[in-house]
Amino acid sequence: MGTFKTENPGNQPVWVNTSNCKACDICVSVCPSGVLGMVYESTSTLGAMISINNPESCIGCNECEISCPDFAIYVADRAEYKAAGLSFAKLTEEAKERQAAIIANKYMSLNQGAK
Amino acid sequence: MAFNYDKYLRLEKMPTLWCWGCGDGVILKAFVRAVDKMKLNQDDVCVVSGIGCSGRFSSYVDFNTVHTTHGRTIAYATGIKLARPDKIVICVAGDGDALAIGGNHTIHGCRRNIDLTMIIINNFIYGLTNSQTSPTTPKGMWTVTQKAGNIDPTFNTCDLAIAAGASFVARESMLDPKKLEKAMIKAIEHKGFSIMEVLSNCHINLGRKNKMVSAMENLEWIDSITIPKKKYDAMSSEERLNLLPTGILKQDLEADEYCEMYAEIQKVHKGERKVITRDDFAKKI
Repeated sequence: MGTFKTENPGNQPVWVNTSNCKACDICVSVCPSGVLGMVYESTSTLGAMISINNPESCIGCNECEISCPDFAIYVADRAEYKAAGLSFAKLTEEAKERQAAIIANKYMSLNQGAK
Repeated sequence: MAFNYDKYLRLEKMPTLWCWGCGDGVILKAFVRAVDKMKLNQDDVCVVSGIGCSGRFSSYVDFNTVHTTHGRTIAYATGIKLARPDKIVICVAGDGDALAIGGNHTIHGCRRNIDLTMIIINNFIYGLTNSQTSPTTPKGMWTVTQKAGNIDPTFNTCDLAIAAGASFVARESMLDPKKLEKAMIKAIEHKGFSIMEVLSNCHINLGRKNKMVSAMENLEWIDSITIPKKKYDAMSSEERLNLLPTGILKQDLEADEYCEMYAEIQKVHKGERKVITRDDFAKKI
């Protein structure tokens, strides 16, 4: 039985339910600030799995959550996140460049080498 | 805490059986979020789906659901709506379901203007049965039934629905789920037959045979053939070639709704009024 892990696992801006993820790359492609990336994972069907590499640059735009077809990725609610004394980052040039590099690397994380 | 999907979905069916990156999942999510935004009671919504990958839609949502025969979503939904006009009835069908085998049901549903919302998930192919040519497969694409390349002209779903008399017609693609969610809310709120064509991807059965191997490559192709309606209207006819406008293409608030006229017929049979005349209708022809 698949369950959604919509509860925040502990002050995270974005988190993943890896048992639902099918590694389709869509969330990585829609992220504006290079937070996400795929990593090699031998137990996954497509040989890859989503990884949250830079949670500190998440701007909380919710694009990855609503673009995920498999209910696998979640973004913290803005009001609740603020109430916990945390705040989402602003979009920086560095983050944009990192995102462009990840897309050029075929959605793989930059430390994983070319796909 | 993120958005609470648990409330609206049947968790024992998860994860979905759809392929990785399938647009159906995005459309399911947009639909659930739209229902949540409209604050509808789950018992007041009925989801009717046909056969195909899109047919699984009704098994995942925790509303009143009917999984019906191939192409007959409108027929079942019309019955449900006439029996219980207070419920919100949503049909979900694929392109093969709604335009090929159920083509006649679709156009006559449009003609009657009964208060249903029909979501047509158009992935340009018969995906479930391994890539046979569907009425929306683009010309020149390889399918198992046309191995030299498809020569059949395609249906333009929205133009068909407008010509058949649907009172709300919109087209969105799954690339922009926020716009999709807003359009879905408008379609459900609209009184009368609303058709929403949602362009989706099938990189497994369309893409892999047509040089679009991954979900992202197929989505890039969908992005290249769609254009917002405002930009489309400003274009010349040569530029419009091979492009599909997205957005709300038609909204007619004056058209007579079928359930209301059916209630008048019931009054005649109860003896509360004599007959229905031409004066009862806003649109007479």
